[in-house]
Amino acid sequence: MLNGLFDPATVFIYLPRLLSKLPVTLLIVVTATLLGAAGGMLLALVRLFRTPVLNQAAVVYISFMRGTPIVVQLFLVFYGVPWLLDHVGIDINRWDKLFFVILTYTLNTAAFKAEVFRAALQSVPSGQAEAAYAVGLTRLQCFRRIIAPQALLIALPSLGTGLAALLQDTSLAYTLGIIDVMGQVHAIASGTNRMLEGYVGAAIIFLTLSVALEKGFGRIEANLLIKRHH
Amino acid sequence: MIEIRDIHKTFGHNLVLKGVDLKVDKGEVVVIVGPSGSGKTTLLRCINFLERADAGEISIGDTHVAFRQATARQVSTIRKQTAMVFQNYNLFNNMTALGNVMEGLVTARKVPKKEAEAVSRAVLDQVGLADKCDAYPSQLSGGQQQRVGIARALALNPEVILFDEPTSALDPELVGEVLSVMKAVARKHITMVVVTHEMSFALEIASRVIFMDGGVVVEEGAPQEIFLRPKEERTRQFLRRILPETDYTI
Repeated sequence: MLNGLFDPATVFIYLPRLLSKLPVTLLIVVTATLLGAAGGMLLALVRLFRTPVLNQAAVVYISFMRGTPIVVQLFLVFYGVPWLLDHVGIDINRWDKLFFVILTYTLNTAAFKAEVFRAALQSVPSGQAEAAYAVGLTRLQCFRRIIAPQALLIALPSLGTGLAALLQDTSLAYTLGIIDVMGQVHAIASGTNRMLEGYVGAAIIFLTLSVALEKGFGRIEANLLIKRHH
Repeated sequence: MIEIRDIHKTFGHNLVLKGVDLKVDKGEVVVIVGPSGSGKTTLLRCINFLERADAGEISIGDTHVAFRQATARQVSTIRKQTAMVFQNYNLFNNMTALGNVMEGLVTARKVPKKEAEAVSRAVLDQVGLADKCDAYPSQLSGGQQQRVGIARALALNPEVILFDEPTSALDPELVGEVLSVMKAVARKHITMVVVTHEMSFALEIASRVIFMDGGVVVEEGAPQEIFLRPKEERTRQFLRRILPETDYTI
């Protein structure tokens, strides 16, 4: 029935099967984004306040995560973390693979977000913090009320790009045997010997999501800017 | 009611304050003048702990604190009794004029929102910005921003308001509106310590003028004394440079 390298109609037969695994992809993206953002903020603060020891550790960590391919990180976490924990008597070898995948993307996201947040926090003029202390705000109140809201607006475009990049990066989770959208492409391919239709289907899904993200962030940014100026 | 004794401050190898005493009575307007680098601004910043002085003590109201040993709680007590108006306004850019004025009341002092808003609208009205409550700093001129800065200080009803060169960053045509607001504040007998280069303001409004140079107080007295009959040679030199010549020969 199916002939040739590529059959457009088959794409639409595969698409629902790929979409059924979209929740797995989204689970990775959403969890890694939220946890990674929190971790990134902590790293950024460690770096900004030049916390002794932790600052140097953060520098090494960020360089490593930004300087190695995500596939390498996936395997290091999947095999390395259980190995390390085994030495202190904790056995996590049987834990779900998805846990290690989400952990890897979280660690990776935190490193990239740390630099985005650090730059954004530094770009808020320090005079505003002084004014906040002068009217009696504590450091934490100043951060929460004055610095963070402005930094977030500055960081927003980078956060949008980062989210789109993370979405694409999840396409490597299948290397650990996760059946997300890309995992499903490979599963279909090995069962039917038809590869291209699956990839085209995946392309449609990823492209649609990326464009939606881009538009969404653009709209949030525009709204916030309009509120603040004119 | 505010007294500073023997304050010292060093930045690296640079001695900025070499033992300054300052006493300000309730309702007084003290103007500090002096060449740049004389330590005027550092003195103000040490009073509300934006800089930590190396030695000396401060008393405001019932609070007595040694600068160096001050605990976080003591710092906060002193800050609650002082307010600062900055050279570069330093308004919170993510808040409206009203939000800027309310912030200290609501977040730091836990004043109920409605009450804080009423107070804040009233002080914004006092500085002539009743119609700009909802404007963000980016929508205001420099003079308007600085008037919001003064309103932000007034709203806290502090024992003393510290003004750090409040007109130095303004375009010349905007200086007048800020000075007239400051004069109005002075007429309400609010205690003010003002670092400024506006000699006419000092002459007209100051209860006392302090001339600082090289990290010490060189001379102090009534404005007429300091400007018209200075005793110290350093004061005379400074005034010659800063005051316009009285007779011009062409």
